[in-house]
Amino acid sequence: MDRFLGWVTKLVLVFLYVPIVAVVVYSFNASPRTSSWEGLSLRWYVELFGDGPLLKTLQTSLIVGIFAAGLATAIGFLSALALTRYRFKGRAFFLGAIVLPLIIPEIVLGVALLTVFGSSGIKLGVVTLVLGHLIVALPLTTLIMMGSLSSLDPSLPEAATDLGCTPWQTFTRVLFPLTRSAMLASFLLSFTTSFSNIVISTFTSGVGTTTMPLRIYSMLKTGITPEINALGALLILLTLVIIFAVGLQQMRRILVGAEEKDQAPDAAPDTISLQTATTER
Amino acid sequence: MTSSTQTAMPDSLMADSRAGQGETPAVRLTGITKTFGDNMVVQPLDLDIRQNEFFSILGPSGCGKTTLMRMITGFETPTDGSIELAGSSVDGLPTRKRDLNMLFQSYALFPHLTVFENVAFELRVRREPKKDITRRVQDALDLVRLGDLGERKTDQLSGGQRQRVALARAVVSRPAVVLLDEPLGALDQQLRKEMQIELKRMQRDVGITFIYVTHDQEEALSMSDRIAVMWKGRLLQIGSPQEIYDAPATEFVASFIGSCNIIPAISAGPGNAPTVAGIGEVPAVEVGAAEPVGSHVSVAVRPERMSVSASAPATGWSTTGTLTEAVYLGHEWRYGIRLGSDAHVFTTVPSTQLGPELGALRTGDSIFVSWAEKDARVLAE
Ligand SMILES: Nc1ncnc2c1ncn2[C@@H]1O[C@H](COP(=O)(O)OP(=O)(O)OP(=O)(O)O)[C@@H](O)[C@H]1O
Ligand SMILES: [Mg+2]
Repeated sequence: MDRFLGWVTKLVLVFLYVPIVAVVVYSFNASPRTSSWEGLSLRWYVELFGDGPLLKTLQTSLIVGIFAAGLATAIGFLSALALTRYRFKGRAFFLGAIVLPLIIPEIVLGVALLTVFGSSGIKLGVVTLVLGHLIVALPLTTLIMMGSLSSLDPSLPEAATDLGCTPWQTFTRVLFPLTRSAMLASFLLSFTTSFSNIVISTFTSGVGTTTMPLRIYSMLKTGITPEINALGALLILLTLVIIFAVGLQQMRRILVGAEEKDQAPDAAPDTISLQTATTER
Repeated sequence: MTSSTQTAMPDSLMADSRAGQGETPAVRLTGITKTFGDNMVVQPLDLDIRQNEFFSILGPSGCGKTTLMRMITGFETPTDGSIELAGSSVDGLPTRKRDLNMLFQSYALFPHLTVFENVAFELRVRREPKKDITRRVQDALDLVRLGDLGERKTDQLSGGQRQRVALARAVVSRPAVVLLDEPLGALDQQLRKEMQIELKRMQRDVGITFIYVTHDQEEALSMSDRIAVMWKGRLLQIGSPQEIYDAPATEFVASFIGSCNIIPAISAGPGNAPTVAGIGEVPAVEVGAAEPVGSHVSVAVRPERMSVSASAPATGWSTTGTLTEAVYLGHEWRYGIRLGSDAHVFTTVPSTQLGPELGALRTGDSIFVSWAEKDARVLAE
């Protein structure tokens, strides 16, 4: 049984990673067709950096992604704060309204957005893209931040106020440091959501603000060149860099935590075992 | 017990809610009221808390203690009334501008900061000079005997140590008032006892007014300079531990603080002894205004103030009852006795004072019960 499970795991891993490895490998393929291998070349990377229109869409996607993720994280934090700290009238309704886009088909949201923007005369462009992506990212950030905030002792903000903090200082000195990793997770997750979105973007992008996924999608008609593989490989590299940057920070925290434990030999026995348990976890 | 008699606190006891003339109270509450929806959680009340006083608010769960405290800190806005700290009104003033600190029941230590940083938090927020901070934090940590644990993270501390850090953090800026909401609730019995002594010592050492909320009467009695007994949003009585214990103003105070026999009786009017059904007149002191003739009252007698004997005492008043139980508790005997037609009381006799006569009594036997007039109080029902 264990061996069977082991094999399934390996197969799943292969299935997950074969396409990724393929993209990277084929980005160095000299052949103009993706189906045959004709030796190593950096040709597609050169073409990629010469492809102005494609780079322009990458720029649009990055800008939209950063703004949508930033706004979604900030608004998500504030909504989560309200939802976890206060019991107000219409709390359940508010929460429902925020998470609803998770279950509404994106295509419906897209059409609805187009109708609204169209009828109110808002010009389609970066702003409408950001707003559209905000709608799909907000449920994610709100839920992540709610999870993080509800694990905090609810009297911490009051304690900060009692110790002289203005509301802003309560945020910078207590709430932010304690929810930093959740904020980072919110930002990265909503950035990826925005960066890879096609459906909403189809309805909310305007002339000259095509996003990168839309551009690649439209290239299907004219034929995809291995240039896209090069772009893909670069994006994977970027993701890895981010993961390592974040991951290393986490790792350092664990290591530093372990060091502190060593320096505190006279801690009460129950706290030591607790500490070890957390570190192992 | 009707609520109208509860509001009529005797004038002699009411006097304690106001400080003497010329003295500025640390905290003065005037007509403070709090309503949640249509639930009046704190009824209009007046209260002065003196400077450098260890003042306890004692009452059962849900009586409004926390709410009262949160209004003083400013976390909660009173529905009505006003609050003064050291003689000046703080109505509408945000918490951070009030010269007081709160010790939370959960301690509310900042988990991302070390012990030192937790204690230094307020001084840093208030931008005190750097070199002062180090010294003052160290002093505060020494005060709570945690001098060498400054670099620890708060999750590496035991419950008692966390409690001390919270305390150091609350007193480091030397506020005029520290409010403590059931601070020992989460500790085990042993640690509780230690911390009670420690808290009292510290309050004396630093000379800060402590407002201490608890529902543990023993704790309140042993630590406080004065106690306010709170019940259903009202202050029933304010006084020193001795006053509260020896001269309870209402039946609730009598039975909530320590144990107390409550014997139903009928008032015979001012100056006359009340009558207990099946016994007749019993000696008891009237408290405050006398109840009208024929009204239902109770006679409150502490178990240890009752004496029992197998034969009638030679002098003074006594009555007979029926022994219903005799329980040996080691250091004392506990006797349950039926008195008159519908009263049931209990009393304790130290094991060392148990004579052979009393020891020979069996349940169902007659037993003589007596008490001095000064030890029994007539309380409105
Ligand atoms: N924010 C609130 N909204 C509505 N009702 C409240 C609120 N806070 C407290 N109450 C109610 O007010 C009453 C008094 O609460 P409070 O917390 O002051 O009691 P307490 O004396 O501190 O009790 P405990 O000993 O259990 O802590 C309770 O009935 C409680 O349900
Ligand atoms: Mg409470």
